[in-house]
This record gives sequence, structure tokens and C-alpha cells, in this order.
Amino acid sequence: MRAHRTRKHRTLIALLGLLVGLAAPAGAIAAKRLIEGGSTSVLPLAKELAGAYHKAFPKIPEPQVLGGESDIGINGASTGRFDVGDSSRDPIKGVDPKHLIFTKIARDGVCIITNKANPIANLSQQEVESIFTGRTRDWSEVPGAHISGPIDLFDRDGASGTQDAFQHIFLGEYLQVSPSATAKTSNGLEQNAVIADKQGIGFVSFAYTPGTNAVGYQGVACNLRNARSGQYTGVRNFWMVTTTHPSAAAVKYIKWVTSGNAVTKRIINSQWIAIH
Amino acid sequence: MIGFGQRAPHPHAAARRDRRAELTLGAFAVGVLVVIAAMVVTVAIKAWPSFSHNGLAWFGSGAEPDASMRAMRDSTPLPGHSIYYFRAWPLIWGTIVTTLPAVLIALVVSTLAAVFLTEFAPSAVRRTVEPVVRLLAGVPSIIYGLIGILALAPWIEHDFISNSRKQSVIYVVQLNGNNLSTGAVILAVMILPIMVAITMNALAAVPGSWKEGSAALGVNRWRTIWRVSLRTARPAIVAGLILATARALGEAVMLDLVAGSRDFNANPLDGLTFLYEPVRPLAATIFQEAGGLNIGALSHTLYAIAAVLLVSATLLSLAGWATKRSIARFGVL
Amino acid sequence: MVAPTADAPISRGPSLPIARPGRESTRSWPLLDRGFYWACWATGIGLCLIAAWVVLYMMVKGLAFLEPSMLVTSPKPEITQQGSGGFFDPIVGTFVIVAIGTALAVPIGMGIAVWLSEYARPGWLARTVESALETLAGVPSVVLALFGLLVFSRGFLGFLSESSVSGGVTGTSFLTAGVAMGVLATPLVVAANYEALALLPSRLREGSHALGKTRITTIRYVLLPAIRASSATGGVLAMGRIVGDTAIITILLGGGVNTEPNGGFLGLLRGTGATLTSYIFYESPAGEGNSHEKAYAAAFVLLLIVLALNGLAVWIARDRSVARRSIWSAFGWDLPWTR
Repeated sequence: MRAHRTRKHRTLIALLGLLVGLAAPAGAIAAKRLIEGGSTSVLPLAKELAGAYHKAFPKIPEPQVLGGESDIGINGASTGRFDVGDSSRDPIKGVDPKHLIFTKIARDGVCIITNKANPIANLSQQEVESIFTGRTRDWSEVPGAHISGPIDLFDRDGASGTQDAFQHIFLGEYLQVSPSATAKTSNGLEQNAVIADKQGIGFVSFAYTPGTNAVGYQGVACNLRNARSGQYTGVRNFWMVTTTHPSAAAVKYIKWVTSGNAVTKRIINSQWIAIH
Repeated sequence: MIGFGQRAPHPHAAARRDRRAELTLGAFAVGVLVVIAAMVVTVAIKAWPSFSHNGLAWFGSGAEPDASMRAMRDSTPLPGHSIYYFRAWPLIWGTIVTTLPAVLIALVVSTLAAVFLTEFAPSAVRRTVEPVVRLLAGVPSIIYGLIGILALAPWIEHDFISNSRKQSVIYVVQLNGNNLSTGAVILAVMILPIMVAITMNALAAVPGSWKEGSAALGVNRWRTIWRVSLRTARPAIVAGLILATARALGEAVMLDLVAGSRDFNANPLDGLTFLYEPVRPLAATIFQEAGGLNIGALSHTLYAIAAVLLVSATLLSLAGWATKRSIARFGVL
Repeated sequence: MVAPTADAPISRGPSLPIARPGRESTRSWPLLDRGFYWACWATGIGLCLIAAWVVLYMMVKGLAFLEPSMLVTSPKPEITQQGSGGFFDPIVGTFVIVAIGTALAVPIGMGIAVWLSEYARPGWLARTVESALETLAGVPSVVLALFGLLVFSRGFLGFLSESSVSGGVTGTSFLTAGVAMGVLATPLVVAANYEALALLPSRLREGSHALGKTRITTIRYVLLPAIRASSATGGVLAMGRIVGDTAIITILLGGGVNTEPNGGFLGLLRGTGATLTSYIFYESPAGEGNSHEKAYAAAFVLLLIVLALNGLAVWIARDRSVARRSIWSAFGWDLPWTR
């Protein structure tokens, strides 16, 4: 009777055996890996650092890097969803959750970008203010513009660290970007929007400027050399965020990133500014 | 006794096995019931704080939804309001203004086109078009969204949105090819094949003897179709309409792509410019903000929006059930 | 027309060709009727043109941008898009999700359909289950994805997805998305199977009982083999529904484009990834990738998959009017138990 029962269920048994066979070796190997996420500005840097970390320590699985914008990263670090959160804005008391440690890992430039059909060389502080707060609405009123027509403003949404940095650095404490601007949810989308729209203008992290025209600010071109020398003032910090009691793996990772060794220095200096 | 590959079982053992099988299968059914009930209950519970803090004004207008949601993300309430403050009217209006025109257009076009295909078209045309329509009914909505954003939106932006039109509303909103009309058109194109297929099916099921009897009485072909075929197919058309509306309401990703993804309260008083203003329906809002699900007040708001969608889906199901009762009453398929 | 009985074949109008007048002259018709006649012709031709345009546009663009290398190269997301890799990972992801979703939906759906058709005791429970399935059929997939995210982020279901080292459960993985897809597709499978079971002639059941077989034996050896075609059609339709959904994928599988498994097959299932639909979203102008060539190519491949599934469903149902009807009921417009 038992043999008969086995024969009846042979397909089911074979299927279960297959599943176990596929799962078993996997279960033995997989170790938990760090999950990192947050700012889309830090994303390209974080991905390269994660890859280099795995190369330097092959036994440690490569950390997984996700996006989502700085606020999501900070919140994620606080709730435990991320082991390490990425933020491209400085910590704000009262807004950020308590009991978090912010570790500075690099500095980054924020560029104002326009479409390649409208290669403005430079904008003064006045012009930046009046364009982004919405006082100036047409390209014909902007000296140095190569096109005419209404200005299509692209902003970032509220969770963005880059938006925060842009407001503080370029607009000061009291001015805000015009609410009629279209808010994009990541650096990549902002870059795409300006590439697609001849009358567009926006702001992105330096690594996202290819394909657009990077506008100079107050007479200084927006490039890595000027940012490093301090001449270009549109520079902000990158942070890695953990709770006050992070896991040992996270501590090891952040220690390696901020150690200033040759590998991390080379990676960071490729498109950002190393500080260690 | 001839067994189907087994020995003849003892009657009591057989009854016990039957009972066990019934319970196992019933467990599947109850399991699905539990899942659905859990979903409805969870959404309702999680949505309650948002409704209780806002009351009926939740459905009204006030601050822009994006501004309220940003305040929830920053944990800094808007001045003068609680952290749960939310006014969903721009989103509800966005849903109405994309879904309603799409459904109406689809209803008219699909009925006329189905009549054409079943009654007037040469059979060669019908034989080619019918499988194509059935294929289009199964095409994923993201492909319609892609066509919309890559083919339709640039054309609308180029030919219909002039610089002066942009200037006229630039203090409030920026216009581009992704707007209300693109969303409604693509939604209509997506719903059309489903409704055409259902209507065609229903028209083909009308008994030939009824149509012949009407012709024998001297009624011309169109009148026959209008009075006999369409009347008979009416419950099926309504059922198809309800199915299409449910599909349109739940369409999140495609409308996020083409309808503007901006919570703007499109203003009909703007005249023709109204058609080119960006909107964002309810489902698309959930889709866009799904990343912030673990931030307290924001998650309650998202569940509140989900609850509104669930209630409308249930109401549509109820309407569908009422229609099917009339199918049973008329006794016609 | 009476509702189809067990023995009378379903009548879809006369089976002999109608001797239609060549083209009825509309000169004698009142103006309104003539207006409607022309409107029908106009919209009919318009519909044909739109359908042809959509199909041809996707074919032309897809063939223009599709290269065979794309089908086997993994995507390489870079900041400057255009020209980086193919979509092998999304194709694998699509197959994995369809497999998991169908593997869940088909057995469960068949079981529920059998229970509703053959047992259905107690009556109030059967009616509640029917209403619940109708509700589920109308629920937007975003709401289902939201609920799924909530459920699968809980600790005790953490084995279905990866957890961070600090213990936070991500809740996004192939397994979680697959389970959500299974729930989504279940009403379709139930409808197809229930319809077919209801249309089986009662003599099958009566004959089996006359031989002294129990209900479960009847179901297993008589009824289920008899509805094989409809069940297969239902399964194929479920696959079609699963292939086409984007919202559940983007929310429950992550918005990336690569599968980065952490350890073998099980690691793949517990990790995030992409399917063709989320890849198309990513490469559309609304996504980070913004590479419309890739988007068209992937859309073409997706369209081919949908075409293949449609063709499969029609082929399975080729000589069986019952199975053909279950294609229609599986659309959901006529969930059969309300007849």
C-alpha cells in the first residue's frame, strides 16, 4: 500500500525533490548582505564603493544599493529597513528622526543645467533667484539665452536632499523655488527632463550633467576642478547615516569608505571631492 | 466493480475521504476569503486615522496634495493644521476627468464599431480585424502608456500647445505633452478593444430568427439593429462598460506616465487650455508615493486613497451584479 | 433564447450563412438612420485604422531597435543611458514571476472552482466566497501591491524576502511579487473552471454516482479530465494577466533592472529584480533609463509573448465551444455563478 501511495504521488515527490535540490546549496552559501539606500545623488558613488568593497573583501557579499531620495534613506536607516542610509543634505534638527549618526564621506557639486540647444554660459545670483522663484518667466528676458519662449522650470520633490542643498546654497534662507515648477523625483529624471525639453532648466548633482549644458554660477564654470579648488560655491556634503548602535558589518563598511585608502580615494575623486 | 485505477473502497472509508476532500477544498476557498477579508479590513483600519482627522473635508480641496504629503514626510505639519491634513479633491477630480471621457468615448465608439463589424462589414474585413481586436484587448497597459508618451504626447505638445498657451498659465502650472487629454485618449484606446470584443460577442448571440422576423416586418437594417440587436445586447454592453470602468479606475502606471503626474486641479474655466493641464488620478498617486509607505501619516493617507479605490471597485461590482440579474430576467445570454 | 442547457449546443445565431442582400440601398431610409449608418462605417473603419496603426507602430519600432544580442545580455544601468546592455534579466524575471504566480493560482483556483461547483456547503459560505472573488476581480492591482508590501514586511514572513543585517525586512522579492500575482490571477482561473464545470452534462456525474463512486473520485477521474481544455485556457489567461501587470512588480519587486541574487536559486527568489514590464517603465521617458530604443525593443518582445499566449489559448480551445466560452467568462464580464 505504501509503495502504491508513493507511485501515485510521484510527480509531487519529484517536484519537491527538485525544489529542495535547488534550494539546498543556496541556503548553505547565502550570508546576509548590507542593504544601503537613499539619495539618488549618492547612488552612483555608493554603487561604485560597494563594488570595490566586495572586490577588496571577497568573502563579504556586495552591499545592495537602492535609491529613493535622501529623506527615504534617513528614515530607512532609522527604522532598520536600511543598514546604511545615504543622504545628500545636512541633518536638520527636528525634522530627522532622533538617535542617528551622520558620517560625512565626500563632497559633491550641484550644477544648474539647461538643454544643449540653450547653452547659457553663466548666470548671476540675481538671475538664478529670479528664474527659479518664478519672477522671470520667459527666456527672452534672460541675457545669454539662445532661445525664446516660456521657461520650463524643473524642481525636485520634497524628499530630495539635492533640492534642500540647492535652496540653501543658491536661493538662501528666505526664497523658495516657484510652486508652479514641475517636481521630479530623482536626479536621473531631472536630467532626462532637461534633455527632453529645449526650454527646460533645472539642477542636478554633478555626476548627472552629461547630455546637458552645465551653467556657470557667478562667473565660475561648474566643473570638478573649480569645485575642488573652492571657487565654485555650489558644493554640499554626502553623508552615510546609521543608528546610534549600528551592526558590526555596517561599521566595518563605513570605516573602510572613510579610511582614505587608495581605492576609495580614486573612486571618489573621479566625479566627486574626497575629504579623507 | 470497475475501479478507476484503485481498489473498491469500504463505503465508510469512501465517505470519510470524500468529507476530507470537501474540507480541503473548502479550506482553499476559505483561505482566499480570509486573504480578501484581511485586505479589506487592513486597508480600512489603516485608512481610518486619515479620515478621522480630516472628516468629510478629506474629499474637498485645500492645500495641494503634494504639499500635504511633503509635510508628512518632513514631520512638520502645515501651519495651522495637523500632520494628517489632506485634501484629496485634485486627485479625485483628476480621476473623474480622465476616466469619464475615456469611458464615454469608448462606449460610443465601441458600440458603433461592433455594429459595423458584426453587421455591415464584409466578412473578409471582419475575419482580419476580429483577432486583432482580441489581441489588443490582452495587450499590457504599459505598452499603451509607452505609445502614449512616445508618440501621442510629443504630437500633442507640438501641434496643440503653443507658447502663448503655455504663457497664459505659466504662473500656475507648466504645460507639456503629458496632460489630461493624452491620458483620456490613451485610456479610451486601451478600453476600446475589450468593449468591442464583448459587444461583438453579444451581438453575435442575438438569435437570427429575431432579426429575420424584424426584416420580414419591413424594418430597415439600422432600425433592426437599434431596436432588436442592441436592445438584446444591452445588458452585455452595460456589463462590458462596468468592466472597462473598473479597469480604467485601477490604471495606475499608464496614467502616471501620460497624464502629467502632477496633482493639479485642472480648471475647466481655462477654456481649451483645460484639456492640456496635467492631472494625476488616485491610483497613479498611490503608485508614485509607494516608496514612503513606512512614514506614519503618509502611509495612513495612502491607505485612505486605497480605501476610496476599493469602495468604488465594490460599488462597480454591485452595479455589475444588478445588471447580471437583468440578464437572468430576460433570459438572454 | 433560452439559457444553454446541458444538451442543447450554444447557438450563436444561424449556423448556415445568411443570404444577405448585397448592399442594402439606404436611399429609402430616414435621415437619422442614414446618419447612424455612416457613423457606424466611419467608426468601424476608424477602429480598424487605430488597431492597424497600434500593431504596425509597435512592430516597426520594435523591429527597428531589437537586436538579438539584447535578449541575452544583462542590463547595465549607467548614468548616461543609451547603449548599455540588453534585457536578459527582465526576461528571466518575467518567466520566474509567471511561473510562481501560475503555480499558485491554478491549483488554488481549480480547487475553489471545484468546491463551488460540486460542494458549496454551507450556502452562506459559498455566496460569501463568490462575492469575495468578484470583489477581488475588480480590485486595482496597486491596492493589492500596497497590501502585499504591508504583509510581507512583517517579521514572520521575512523568509520570503531579504532582510538587512540590522533585521529590517525589505518585503520586496520574486516570491512576494509572485504570491501577489497568484492572488491577482485566482479569480480568472476560478471563473474559467467554474464555467466549464457548470456546462458539463449532468449525465457524467449521474453515471459516475450510479457506479457507486464518491464525489471526490468523480471529480478527479471524470470531471477534471473533461474540463482539461478549459482549465488549460484558464491557466493561459492567468499567465496573460500576470505578464501584463506593472504596478505589483514595481512595488513588490523593486524598480531596478538587474537581478542581483545573493546565493543561488533561492537567493534569486528572495532578491529583487525586474520583469519586462518594469524594465519598459524604467526605460520610458518617465523612468531613469530614458532609452526609448530599449523600451520599444522590450515592448516588442512582450507583445510577442502576449501574442504567443493568446494563440495558445485559442489553439487549446479550437474545437471546444465550452473552452472558447471560458475565454470570455475569464474576461470577467460574466462571472458564471450569477447566471
